[in-house]
Amino acid sequence: MGIQTEEMMLNMGPQHPSTHGVIRFVVKSDGEVMTEAVPDVGYLHRSIEKIGEICEYNGFMPYTDRADYLSAMNANQGYAMVVEKLLGLEIPERAEYLRVIAAELNRIISHILSLGAVAMDIGAATPFVLALKEREKVNDLMEALCGQRLTYSYVRIGGVSYDMPPGFIERSLKFLADFEPFMDEFENLVPENKIFIERTAGVGVITREDAIAYNLVGPNLRASGVDWDLRRDMTYSVYPKLQFEVPVGVGSQGVVGDSFDRFIVRIKEIKQSISLLKQCFAQIPEGDFLGEIPRVMKPAVGECYVRTESSRGDMGYYLISDGSKNAFRVRIRTGSFTSMSIIEKISRGMMLADLVTFIASLDVVAPEIDR
Amino acid sequence: MLDSLQPLVFGMLALIIFISAAFITFSRNLIYSAFALLGSFTGVAGLFAMLGADFLAVVQLLVYIGGIMVLYLFAVLMTSGIGDVRLTNRSIAVKIALPLALVLFFSLGKLIFETEWFAQQTVKIAPTTAAIGDLLLTKYLLPFELVSVLLLSTLIGSVALARQELRNSKENHD
Amino acid sequence: MENFAIHIHESYLYGLPLSVVNLIVMFGAAFVVLLGFVAPFAGLLSFIERRIAARIQCRIGPNRVGPQGLLQFLADGVKSLFKEDLIPKVADKPLFIIAPYLVFLGMFTSFVVLPFSSQWIVADLNVGILYLFATAAITVVGLVMAGWGSGSKWSMLGGMRSAAQIISYEIPTGLAALTAILLAGSLSLQEIIAAQGPHPWQWYFFDNPFTFIAFFILFVALVAEGNRAPFDLPEAETELVSGYNTEYSGMRFLFFFFAEWAHLYVLGAILTTLFLGGWQVPESLLASVGAESIAARILELVFFQLKIYVLVFLVVQLRWTVPRVRMDQMMDMCWKYLVPIGFFCVAGVAIWMMLFPDGVSFVKYLLIAFSSAMVLYYFYKVYRNFKDSRAELELNPFV
Repeated sequence: MGIQTEEMMLNMGPQHPSTHGVIRFVVKSDGEVMTEAVPDVGYLHRSIEKIGEICEYNGFMPYTDRADYLSAMNANQGYAMVVEKLLGLEIPERAEYLRVIAAELNRIISHILSLGAVAMDIGAATPFVLALKEREKVNDLMEALCGQRLTYSYVRIGGVSYDMPPGFIERSLKFLADFEPFMDEFENLVPENKIFIERTAGVGVITREDAIAYNLVGPNLRASGVDWDLRRDMTYSVYPKLQFEVPVGVGSQGVVGDSFDRFIVRIKEIKQSISLLKQCFAQIPEGDFLGEIPRVMKPAVGECYVRTESSRGDMGYYLISDGSKNAFRVRIRTGSFTSMSIIEKISRGMMLADLVTFIASLDVVAPEIDR
Repeated sequence: MLDSLQPLVFGMLALIIFISAAFITFSRNLIYSAFALLGSFTGVAGLFAMLGADFLAVVQLLVYIGGIMVLYLFAVLMTSGIGDVRLTNRSIAVKIALPLALVLFFSLGKLIFETEWFAQQTVKIAPTTAAIGDLLLTKYLLPFELVSVLLLSTLIGSVALARQELRNSKENHD
Repeated sequence: MENFAIHIHESYLYGLPLSVVNLIVMFGAAFVVLLGFVAPFAGLLSFIERRIAARIQCRIGPNRVGPQGLLQFLADGVKSLFKEDLIPKVADKPLFIIAPYLVFLGMFTSFVVLPFSSQWIVADLNVGILYLFATAAITVVGLVMAGWGSGSKWSMLGGMRSAAQIISYEIPTGLAALTAILLAGSLSLQEIIAAQGPHPWQWYFFDNPFTFIAFFILFVALVAEGNRAPFDLPEAETELVSGYNTEYSGMRFLFFFFAEWAHLYVLGAILTTLFLGGWQVPESLLASVGAESIAARILELVFFQLKIYVLVFLVVQLRWTVPRVRMDQMMDMCWKYLVPIGFFCVAGVAIWMMLFPDGVSFVKYLLIAFSSAMVLYYFYKVYRNFKDSRAELELNPFV
């Protein structure tokens, strides 16, 4: 029995509602079931790394925002850390706390958007709007902190650009007190929904071995059952002083490493971020927010690599200095790029609707892929 | 009021059926032929309605348009190379078909003109559903049951075919 | 209408034969009904849906055009009229143009048999319910045509999906409707309503456990037939861009949406007619305004509308709450659950009618009690959610 079927080539993107930006997938499908989905990246390449070689060290900071605009604080922090390491700078403790506060707030912003986007890609429009509503509140906090709502450039080499405004801690705690019940409501609305479970559980399963082999990072890696978080395992900044758990995928509804696990891990990480923020607000010392920095930054000849745990996982900055005012080479390693590489393998034999779920659950952000 | 309209409505329905039937036959585009079925099926349903066969008219719409025509459409859309614009209805074996069609035409014509028609002056509009139901379950029970058995076997057969194909494709993947 | 036609014939068009005048009057009446009645209904439903959706999503929704934004749909309609009518180069032009009209036709001809009150019905066909399902078939053809005619692969996938979906779900729809038809012994919508009564214990919904289940089957199947979330696969925005209407713009695009909202109304009307007693008004209320008066008809219309809007509200709330199901899951649900349960219900109702020709009051009251408990629980949950989400805070940095 062999009915001759013809494969249809579908061009998903660069403009497609579910690719979250300009990503293109060349999908070969036999009706609803795809045989292959090959990602085609590069539509959003802005030569940020090359710009890093032209700018002075300080001047590159705003560009790091654009490397991952949904998680700009984390990107800022990583770059600041690598330059500080190269210069051998010590930064004040208050500045470290401010950076962690900013980074964790940003993690909430990024994760909540990702959760909403997954829900929307599965077809529920409401969770996305609810998530955006909460995101706006965090954005308000960010605006109070640094005057920006998306591309912050808050972190500076040697510290941060401004101290907290007066009343910021109270306002943030008030927000967190309201945000926690919202997360419970969100959990009630989305991951406990039967259709949502049916659509995500067992879909796009990335095994532990695959996750490691394909170099997945961050929540995607942890959802596959790998207990690895840079904040704990290669700790930096003030994270050693803070108590937090690293949520790992357990396959509560299906298999470890499915889309549902990735969703749940992000929800749990938001809860951990809430707890981290509370600890930071309790512990933050008085002091300077910007340390002593040289007027002209000319690090010694050498190279340096720093990894931070961004919202999408391990974000690494590799810097080579030739002793001049500009870097000789800047390289940014991002999580979304490696996430893209596994799509081709996992998506074989998937249904078209599942591909959308799968991509959304990986939380790929177009600018971060191409930089 | 309806009586005075009848010739007009009949003429319109006949025209619709004739035009769409011609379209089905002569259109060079497979998909147009399939869609033109809509006109002829609706027209026939209209004729049934005119004859007072309300149940039949609606079932004609339901089964022929909702079922058979959509099935045709599926089949046509799944034809390989349907994306190709130049795909046409090739007229095959005109030499055989034309004489056959002519023979059919003349014999039907002869039949129509030689039959004595009993013209019913007024069409009685009365519900037919109950009567059809009664007949199906009394006088025509056996044919009715036979048809249902046929349908059941078709259903089971298609499921078996689909399953076999599914299994094959699974084996191929593994 | 006949008198009206004769009047027109005598006063204005005496040159024409009466039959032609009749035809003109009939088409004119249909035109007026469509334009003056159905279109505002669809428009109003769009307004209702948008406002409910906005409330669910913590927004306000359209509130600028007219009182409370009631006239928003007119503004949108006018806007769509002025939009460029774009036809893609690769589109199959004739099909692309015809398709929206077919969809429109299929939806709107179903209004002909809807019983708005005991006398207000355009045509009380004695195969009314079958006619309603038959018109849905024309819609399918329109959707497939739109999908194919657009010349886009996404549209074609959407068209194929919708055809598969609607054809499949016609079976549970028919089976569930069959339970009510069995009880009433008629296919005419008016007779089905007349066989029920104004009070809940006289509705078919509570008649026996099997009709109770059949109601929900019909509800789900009709939602699926209307391509509404959670079954909106044919126009799944995130998967198929926008399915069969991806390439449409302007007025043609609006036709699809009109048809969708019109179907929402038809859905409510079918369910109300078959299971919820249609336009039935309690005798005492009817007597107080005079059983034969116009006011009585309006009262019946109001009752009918109220029931429909409750159902419409449910469907809208469903749409904005749950995610979309996948194609195979949807087919599974139809063939593995709804169809067998539907057969079970039909057989169950037949046996029930044989065993208890007069119905069992105890079961009816039990079902009513159960449903009331469910409704109360629903309101309790909504109340709790409102209470929980009261906590709002101002985070404007400039305050």
